Amino acid sequence: MKPSKMLVLEVSGILMAVVTALLCGFVVIFLTSSEPFTAISALFLDPLSSWFNVGTILNKAVPLILTGLAVSVVLQTGVFSMGAEGQLYMGSFLGALTAVYLPGLSPWIHLPLVLLAALIGGAIFGAIPGILKAYMNANEIVTTLMLNFVAILLTSYFVNNQFKAQGGGYAKMENINKDILLAKIIPGTSAHAGILIALAAVVIVYLLLYKTSLGYELRLVGKNGHFARYGGIATRRIIVISVMISGALAALAGIVEILGIQGTFKQNFSAGLGFDGIIIALLARNHPVGVLIAGLFYAYIQVGAQTMQYGSDMPREVAVIIQVMLVLLVTAQAIFTFLKQRCAKNEQKAVK
Amino acid sequence: MVWQTIWSQIIDLSLIAVLLRVMTPILLAALGGLISDIGGAINIGLEGLMLMSAFTSIAVGSTTGNWALGVLAGVGVSVLISYGMGFFSLKMKVDIIITGFAVNIFGSGFTIFLMSKIFGVTGNYSPSKAAPIPTVHIPFIEDVPLLGKLLSGHNLMVWIAILSVVFCMVLIYRTPYGVHLRSVGEAPQAAQSLGIPVTRIQYSALAWSGVFAGLAGAFMSNGLTNMFVKDMTGGAGFLALAVVLLGNRNPIGILFGSLIFGLASALATIVQTVPDAPIPSQFIQMVPYVVTIAALVFFAVRQKRKLATIT
Amino acid sequence: MPILLEMKDIHKVYPNGTAANRGVHLTVHEGEIHALVGENGAGKSTLMKILFGLESPTSGTIEYKGQPINFHGPRDAIQQGMGMVHQHFMLSPSLTVSENIVLGNEPKRGPFSIFRDRAREYREVEQLVATYGLQVNLQAKVETIPVGQKQRVEILKVLYQGAKLIILDEPTAVLTPQETDELFDSIQALITEGHTIIFITHKLREVMRISNRITVLRAGKSIATLQTKDTNQEEISRLMVGREVLFRVNKVPAEPKDVVLAVRNLEALDDKGTKALNGISFDIRSGEVLGIAGVEGNGQTELVEAITGLRKATAGHIRYQGKELLEASVAEIRKMKVGIIPEDRQTSGASLTSTIAENLMLDHYRNPEFKRGIFLNKKKIKQFTQIMMQTYDVRAQNEEIMAGALSGGNLQKVVVARELSKNPKLLIASQPTRGVDIGAIEFLHREFIKRRDGGAAVMVVSAELSEVMALSDRIAVLYNGEIVALLDNTPDLTEQEIGYYMLGIKKQEQEEVR
Repeated sequence: MKPSKMLVLEVSGILMAVVTALLCGFVVIFLTSSEPFTAISALFLDPLSSWFNVGTILNKAVPLILTGLAVSVVLQTGVFSMGAEGQLYMGSFLGALTAVYLPGLSPWIHLPLVLLAALIGGAIFGAIPGILKAYMNANEIVTTLMLNFVAILLTSYFVNNQFKAQGGGYAKMENINKDILLAKIIPGTSAHAGILIALAAVVIVYLLLYKTSLGYELRLVGKNGHFARYGGIATRRIIVISVMISGALAALAGIVEILGIQGTFKQNFSAGLGFDGIIIALLARNHPVGVLIAGLFYAYIQVGAQTMQYGSDMPREVAVIIQVMLVLLVTAQAIFTFLKQRCAKNEQKAVK
Repeated sequence: MVWQTIWSQIIDLSLIAVLLRVMTPILLAALGGLISDIGGAINIGLEGLMLMSAFTSIAVGSTTGNWALGVLAGVGVSVLISYGMGFFSLKMKVDIIITGFAVNIFGSGFTIFLMSKIFGVTGNYSPSKAAPIPTVHIPFIEDVPLLGKLLSGHNLMVWIAILSVVFCMVLIYRTPYGVHLRSVGEAPQAAQSLGIPVTRIQYSALAWSGVFAGLAGAFMSNGLTNMFVKDMTGGAGFLALAVVLLGNRNPIGILFGSLIFGLASALATIVQTVPDAPIPSQFIQMVPYVVTIAALVFFAVRQKRKLATIT
Repeated sequence: MPILLEMKDIHKVYPNGTAANRGVHLTVHEGEIHALVGENGAGKSTLMKILFGLESPTSGTIEYKGQPINFHGPRDAIQQGMGMVHQHFMLSPSLTVSENIVLGNEPKRGPFSIFRDRAREYREVEQLVATYGLQVNLQAKVETIPVGQKQRVEILKVLYQGAKLIILDEPTAVLTPQETDELFDSIQALITEGHTIIFITHKLREVMRISNRITVLRAGKSIATLQTKDTNQEEISRLMVGREVLFRVNKVPAEPKDVVLAVRNLEALDDKGTKALNGISFDIRSGEVLGIAGVEGNGQTELVEAITGLRKATAGHIRYQGKELLEASVAEIRKMKVGIIPEDRQTSGASLTSTIAENLMLDHYRNPEFKRGIFLNKKKIKQFTQIMMQTYDVRAQNEEIMAGALSGGNLQKVVVARELSKNPKLLIASQPTRGVDIGAIEFLHREFIKRRDGGAAVMVVSAELSEVMALSDRIAVLYNGEIVALLDNTPDLTEQEIGYYMLGIKKQEQEEVR
C-alpha cells in the first residue's frame, strides 16, 4: 500500500472515531437534557461565537499541546511513560522558584532563565524512570505513575511550608513579578503569548523527530529496538534521552501555564494536564502536527463544555464521554486493521 | 507531641480501628487488581471503577434507604464497566493500559456529570437520609476491655474485606477456575493448546476486578463518609495497584501490603491533625509510592542477577 | 501391525505463496516408533499442524483408525487420542507439576462441585508416574525443575489426556545425553503400554537407535519411507540433503591475499546460558569466500553475533585487520567497514515500519555528507536512496514506501544495498537468500562474488548446503559449536561428504582443521 494511501486511511479512521465519539456525546445529551438542541449548539457554536472564547480556546490548548508533544516523544521511542504530570510539577516548580526568588533581573534575562530552570527540572525528573527502565528494566508505566504522586506530594509540601506565600490560606508561592508573566497577544481576549511558545515547540519537536540524527535514533528505537541495536545505536541511552526531552516539554507546559494563567505555583494547579497529554498524543498518533490539531480540538471541546454549562442544563462533564470514546476508538487496533484489510481487498479486486 | 498522639492512639487501640478503616478499600481494590493481574491484564482502571461504584452505591442506597441495594448497584455498575474494558481491550484490541486509563477519566468525569444531573450539586453530594453500611457490634465481646475494641465495632465491609482474602485464596488455589486463570495469565498458548477458553477467562478476571473494586468504592462513600465527593478515592486505586505489584501475586501478600500502606495512610491522617509535626504528612503519604518503586527496581535487578548467574 | 494413521498426498500452500507441503504421504502403524526426519523447512512442523487441526491442508486426506478425520483444533485431536509434545514446552511456570499435568481436566470433588479434588489429582498422577516410570516431583513448581523433567511433565500431560498416538517434536533438542537416554527408556515403556509414537528429529543417530520405520521429508515432499533395520545413516542423510534446486554461480578462482579476520578459540553462550561456541578458530583472507555450513542451531547465530559485537564472547580472540574486536561495541565495529547481513531480516535486518530511505540510512545518518547543518539533508538522502534502489534493483514505487510492504527479495536487496554501500572490507552474510525468489538469489550471489573479486573478505553462513557450495572458496562445517571440518571447495567435494560432517557422523582431526 502506498504511504499516502496509508495516511488517508489513518486520517479517515481517526475522523470516523471523532465523529462516533461526538455521536456518543449527542446520545447522552439527548437522553439527559430537556433542551438538547440548545445544549448541542452551546457546545459547538458558542466557543467560536466571540473572540474572547477563541482566546480561551488558545489558552487551554497551550499546555495540552505541550504535554501532548511530551508524551508523543516518549511514545515514539516505544516508552509508555505516564509521567508527564509529575514532570510538569517538578519542572515548573523549579521554574517558579527561579521566577519568585531571583528578583532584580532584567526580564530579558529572567524569563529565559525561568524557562530553562523548568526544562532542566523536568528533564532531571524524567531521567529517573528513564534510567530505571533502560538500565534496570523497571516497568516505566508503574514507576511513572508512582513518581507522579511523589512529585505532587513533594511540591505540595514545599508550597505548604518553606515556599508558602505570606498571608492567605491557600498553598501557593508568592506571586511572580508581572515583568515576566506572559503578555496578552490578542486585544480583547485573554490569549497570552504561550500559544507562540507552543507553536515553536511543535516546530522544534517536528524538526527534532523527523529532520535530525537524534530524531532518527529516537524513532528507530521505538520502531524496532533489535534493528537499532544491530545498527550500533546505544538504545538504552536513547531511551533516557527520550524521557528527558519528554520531561522538559511537560515542564514547559507547566511553567507556561503558570506564567500565562496562574501567576504563581499553586498546589495541585495542573489537575491532570499531563494525563490530557496522553490523550492528545494518542489522538495525534504521536505526530507533532497532529498534536497541534488534537490539542486545539480538545481545547475547543473543553471550552464548549464550559459554554454548554453556562448556556444549558448540561454540566460540562459531558465532554468526558466524548474524550473517553475518542481515546478508545482511536486506539482500537481492531478497527484500523479491519479498514486496512478491507482496503487491501478492494485493491486486489481492482487488479482483477 | 506527635509521637505522644500516635502512642496514645496505639495504646487505646484506636489506631487499629483507623488502620482497618483506611486499609479496607485498598485491600478490596488490590484483590480485584490481583485477579486481573493473575489473568494477565494489569488493571490500572481501579480508581475509575471505585469512583463509579462509590457514586452509584450512595445514590441508590440513599434513595432506596437500603444500604445493601446500594452496594449491590455499585458493584453491578463496576462489573458492567469491567466488561466494557474487556470488550475494548480483548475485542477491539485497545491496549489494556489505555483502557484502564480511559476508565479512570470516565470514572472521574462521569460521576460529576451524574451528580450534577441527578442531584443538581457539584463538588459533593451528602444525602439527608443516608443508609450507611452497618457497623458490626459483637455481643459480649464488645464489653471485653481489649478484645472488644479489637474485634467489635468495625464496619461490616471491614469483615467482608478480610473474608475476601480467604475467598480469593480459595478461588485461586482450590478451584479449577483458579488454575486456569493462572495458566491463562502466564502461558496463554499452553492454556489454548489444552482447550481452555482464554478470552472468556480474561473477561471473567476483569469482572472479578470490577466486583472487588466495586466493593471498595461502595465502602468509601457508603461506609467511610456517607457522602460522595468528586474524586473522593484520591489515588486509593493507584495505591491498590502498587499493592498488587508488591504482593507477590498472592492474597496474603496483598493483605500485608495493604496493611503497610494502610498504616502509612493512617499515620499521615493522624500527623495532619497535629500542628508542628516533625515529619510532614506528605512524606508519609509518599512512602507507599517510593516503596513500590524501590521494590520494582529490586525485583528487576534480582531478575537480571538471576539471568546473569545462569550465564 | 494395523495401520493407525494415514496421511495421503498432503499439500499446503500458505496465502503468501509458500508451499510448505507439496505431496506428503505418511503411514503410521499401531505400536511402532515412526521417525519423521528432514531438515529445517522440510515441512515437518506444517504436517503436524495439519494433523492437529491447527492448519487446514490445501488438499489431501487424513485417516485415523480407518476413519477420515477433519479436526478443527487441538481439542478435537486430543479427544481422538492424539497428543503432542511441543519442542517449546507448553507449561505454566508457576503452577506445580501436578497442576500442569491435569490442566484443563482437573478432577473435581463431585460432578457438581466447583472445587478441585487434589487428593484424587495426586492419586491419578502418581498412578501414571508409576505405570510409565516417568519420575517427577509432583509438588515442585515447573519453573524450578530441570529441562528433562519438564519434558516428562509434557509427556505425562498427554498421557493424562488419554493419548494413544503421541507426537514428540524434536524432543532431544534441549536434552543432555543422559536425559536423552532416560527419554528413550520412557519411550520404550510407552510402546510396551500400547502407545504409538511419531518422533520428529534430524539427529540420525537417534533415529537409528530408537525407531522402527522412517519417513524422510525434503522440501515439502515425502521422499521415502524406510525400515530402520534395512538402512543406515549415510542413506538417510543422502535422502535428506539431496537438492533439487542447484545454485549456479559463475566465478573465477579466488586470489586470496592478506588475512582480514582471524578468529581464535572463540567461545560464547547462547541465550539460555549454555555454551554455544566451543573454541572456534578460522581465518578469512581478502578476496575469498568462506562458507559456514551446518544444520541450524549448531552455533551459527552465536558466531555471527559474537563477531559483530551483538553478543559478548566469553573467551578467545577476534582480530580484524590486526585490531582486537572482543570488547568493541556494535557501533565501533560497523564503523570499521564491516558489512553485516543478519539472518533475520524482519527483526534485525530492517525496520518494517520505516521507509526504504530510513532503512538505508542506518550507517550514514551521522555522516556529514547527508547533513545540512544539524539537519538531515533530505534531498541528498533521496538521491542516494534512488541510486541505491537502481543499483540493487529494488522494485518499489518510490523511496517513501514502508520496508514492510516489500517482498522478501526486495527487502533483502535493501539490506544488502545498505551493507554494501559502505564498501565493506569484511562482509558477513547470514542466510542471505532465505525466503528470496530465484531471480533475486542470482543477483545477490553475483554481488557477493563481485565484492570478493574487489578484495573484500566474505563470510557466508547458510543452512542451504548447495548455496554454501556454490559461493564458497573454502567451507567450514559447524557442528555442536565446533568447526568439525575445514574443506577446500574443490570440484570433487560432494554434498554427501559435507553432510556427514554436518550431521556429526564424521569429524576431521584437530590438525586438519586449521
